[in-house]
Formats: sequence, C-alpha cells, structure tokens
Amino acid sequence: MGHLAAAIVVLAVGLSLYYASRQIDYEWRWERVPHYLVETGGTEIPAPFDGTVKFAPDGQSLTLTPLLGGGEPVTVAGFDRIEVSDGDIVFAGNTLGREHGWSAGPLAIGLWMTLKISLASLVFALILGLVVGLGRVSRRVVSRDLAALYVEVIRGTPLLVQIFIFYFFIGTVLSLSAFAAGVAALSVFTAAYIAEIVRGGIEAVPRGQTEAARSLGMSAFQAMRHVVLPQALRSTSPALAGQFINLIKDSSLVSIMALTDLTKAGREVVSSTFSPFEVWFCVALLYLALTGTLSFAVRRLERRLDRHD
Amino acid sequence: MTDARLLIEVRHVDKCFAGTGTQALKDVSLSIHAGEVICIVGPSGCGKSTLLRTLNVLEPVSAGEVWIEGVSVHARGARLDRLRTKVGMVFQQFNLFPHLDVLENLMLAPVKVLRQPVATVRARALALLEQVGLADKARSRPGQLSGGQQQRVAIARALCMQPDVMLFDEPTSALDPEMVGEVLDVMRDLALKGMTMCIVTHEMVFARAVGTRAVFMEAGSIVWQDAPERFFSNPENARLRAFLGQAG
Repeated sequence: MGHLAAAIVVLAVGLSLYYASRQIDYEWRWERVPHYLVETGGTEIPAPFDGTVKFAPDGQSLTLTPLLGGGEPVTVAGFDRIEVSDGDIVFAGNTLGREHGWSAGPLAIGLWMTLKISLASLVFALILGLVVGLGRVSRRVVSRDLAALYVEVIRGTPLLVQIFIFYFFIGTVLSLSAFAAGVAALSVFTAAYIAEIVRGGIEAVPRGQTEAARSLGMSAFQAMRHVVLPQALRSTSPALAGQFINLIKDSSLVSIMALTDLTKAGREVVSSTFSPFEVWFCVALLYLALTGTLSFAVRRLERRLDRHD
Repeated sequence: MTDARLLIEVRHVDKCFAGTGTQALKDVSLSIHAGEVICIVGPSGCGKSTLLRTLNVLEPVSAGEVWIEGVSVHARGARLDRLRTKVGMVFQQFNLFPHLDVLENLMLAPVKVLRQPVATVRARALALLEQVGLADKARSRPGQLSGGQQQRVAIARALCMQPDVMLFDEPTSALDPEMVGEVLDVMRDLALKGMTMCIVTHEMVFARAVGTRAVFMEAGSIVWQDAPERFFSNPENARLRAFLGQAG
C-alpha cells in the first residue's frame, strides 16, 4: 500500500514537471543524448606524414608517398570508409578515413575521470583517515593535538576553497598535475570525516577487549590491529559507505580545475549543443548509477559479513 | 611451599586513581609461588580486583614494586608484553573477541605474539577445547554461546598461551546460577593439574575446597591470610568473622 502511494506521488511530480516544461519554449532532444555517451561515428585514421594519396586497386587500402625528399611509400589499410580522393595531397594529421566502431563520448570520458579520481581519493582518504583517527585516540598528547587540529581545520573550511588552495598554491609549489591536486584535495577533505568515524568506532569497542588483548601479551599496536580495529571498522561500515558516496559527489567540485570529470564534460556538452536539460538529467543519472552501485556493493558485503556472525 | 619457585611478588603496593583520588590499594604485599591456589575474598570495592590487575600490570601501581618471574616491571626496558605472556587472565565479563570464532580466539595470541607455528597452536587449542568440554564449538562465534560456555572458552584462551600462572577476576559473578558449576569444575580441574592460580571470588565453598591459601581484603589492605580450612571454619580475625557472617 505504502509503496503504491509513494509511486503515485513520484508519478504526479514527474507529470507536473513534464507539463511545466511544455509551457516553456524548449525543444527536447533526448535522441541526441546517447551520442554524448557513445560515439558511433567511428575512429579517425590520420595521415602519418605529408604525402600524395594513391588508391590501391582493391579500394580497401591506399599508399601514401612522401611529398618531399622521397622516402618509402607507406600502405595504409583497415578503412571502413575512405574520406580522401585518389591523387589528393594530404598533410600529417589529416583524416584519411574512418574505422567503424564505437568510441567513448564526452560524458563517458568524464564518467571515467570521475571514477578514477574518486577511487584514487578513496584509497588515500581511507589510509589518511585511519592514521588521523588513530591519532585522535592516541595516548600521546602530540598526536591527539595534531589530529584534532587537522580535523577542525579541514571540517571548518569549504571544500571548494580547499580545492583552490590545493590547485593554485600547493599544486604550484609542488608542481602537481591537476589530477594529483584534485586527488590530494578530495583525500585530505574526506580523511577528516573518516578520522572522526574511525575514532567513534574505536571508542565504541569496550575497554575489556583491549584489556583481554593486552593480558594475552599483545602490544598496544597488536591489540589495535587484531582486536579493536576489525570490530571498529565493521561497526562503522555504514557510516564509511556514506562517506564514500559523499566523496563521489564531492568530486564534481574538481571540475573547476582543468580536469574534465563528469560535471565538466556535462558543461562542455551543454555549451556545444544547447540542450542543458537533457544533459544535466543524464549527468545526474550517471552519478546516481555510481553511488547506487557503491551502496549496493557495500550492502552485499555487510550481509556477507553478517552471515559469519 | 617456601622452596617453590616465586612467580609473582608485589611489595608495599599503593594504588591511587588519578581522577577520583580514591586509594584502592594501601601497602599491599603478596607473593605467589608455583603450585599455589590463592583465593582472595572481601566486600565489593575492597580493592581485590585492582590487586589482581596489578599482578599483570594491567593497572600500573602508584607506589611499591611488582616482580614477575624475578623481573621488576619497573626496570627500564622491562618488556611488559613479554612478561604478560607468562600470566593468563580470565575476566568477569569474559571479553572474548566477538569478530573471531572460538578457535581463532584461542589461536590469535600464540600465533601473533609467541609466533608459534599455526599447526602446533591449532592442535593445542583443540585439545584445550576438549579439556573444557567445548570441542564441538570450535567454529562457533562467542555470541552464539551461553555465558558459562564463553567463560570456559576464555579460560582455554588464556591457557593456550601456556602461562605459568592464571589470574581469575570474579569468573562466575556475571553468570546465571545454573552455569556457575560448569566454570568452577573447569577451574577445579586446572587446580588439580597443578596450575598456579590467583582467584578473586565470592564462591566461598569453592575457595575452601580448592584453595591452598585464602586472603581477606578490606578497604584496600590485606587484613588476614591463612590456610583455607582455618580461614573459613575458625577465623582468628574479628573483621573476617564479621565478613564471613554476612556472606553466610
């Protein structure tokens, strides 16, 4: 019953949005959207050097004779469509023809960049967050102070500003690439939140667990590594998964740097096609697919772990 | 008894808790020789658990000295982790590792701390589970076991380190009455096999039957100690008499 009611509400909202969009002067071109994801135009085959084109008798290949100073003629083959004529003079890089097949469209390339930057940031954020989280619960005052300062500074400043600082200041000083600067900014930002989750998880493990481990002769490190941390990470895995989903969404902010992630790709496609509505819906759906896959995977993993308990 | 090996000795130990400023131990001295089964009794809050926890330095002392197997734990460079491998401990709340199964609970420390070969440790762990009557629970998680079973696993876990002495901190206090017996049986078994034990307990009948020495603590001090027979049936100390009268 409840599901049906929810479905009706969603449908109603969707329909009213649809009719609202009919009121404005906008031409929907949904049929174009797939091309932004997958290009079917084929891959270009460029001329390797300046030369004269001569068709082979079979029509499937051609020979290119260098223009100046001679050199050996080269045979180019593998065309599905030739786009030059017999006897043409072409220059290096000119398109000789196309090879059929699919290639990634701008949105797919952007999606791949978003995935790469998210995964790289996730790995570093997890390591850094673990270190800072352990620092928060350390017996050493120095570690506790430094970790607390880190968390306060990072959580107290906007991610966008941090990205600017990483890109313009730290990126310049250390001459980082845009990708490295983006990964660094996202990792440092997310690690502050992961550190707090890790700290909460560790503090939630009963003291008796550490005492039992120490009474068995384990060092403080061994007790943390074999007894406390596994329990802490297990109990905080929903919160960690939420943080990873945030990371994927936050990665859209790196599009202000010279990095063509999914959001930047969306903006570029919009500026060349003037179809902002379709493109942004499509971009949102792609983000949703990423985060949805991640939370599904985490739920599966949790259920697997639960079965062992 | 005096010529037996001295395993743990505390001399003139004080313990103050920093936060509250309460003094839990006042000038306590106790020595544990090989083969002894020492039962510590006393009203709650008298410091008996604190004393037990100083014996393996889970609780550092404020003053006085602790010696484990002839090594002072205060000496610079004293390796506390190493010393603790010689001293097994069983807690009131079991403190089994919930993310590991029973066999893994037993094997973790011998493999990771003593670096013994897995096959050797596994064989010993299985034999110990047999000994405490839980051979069929090797692959269970602690959460699937009753309190009595968990405490027996905890005893086996401590034994798997092959300690020279075992400390028990009120091992039956958190158990339902019908499970107390199975844990005490395991402990009695252990005493008969010659294990050196120091037990904080409220089980007077057990202490009298199994103990080789009984110790009475009150307000952070050892008030009286004696052979269990005299200690329980004919106590020569007025405060002990009053305590045993209350305890029934």
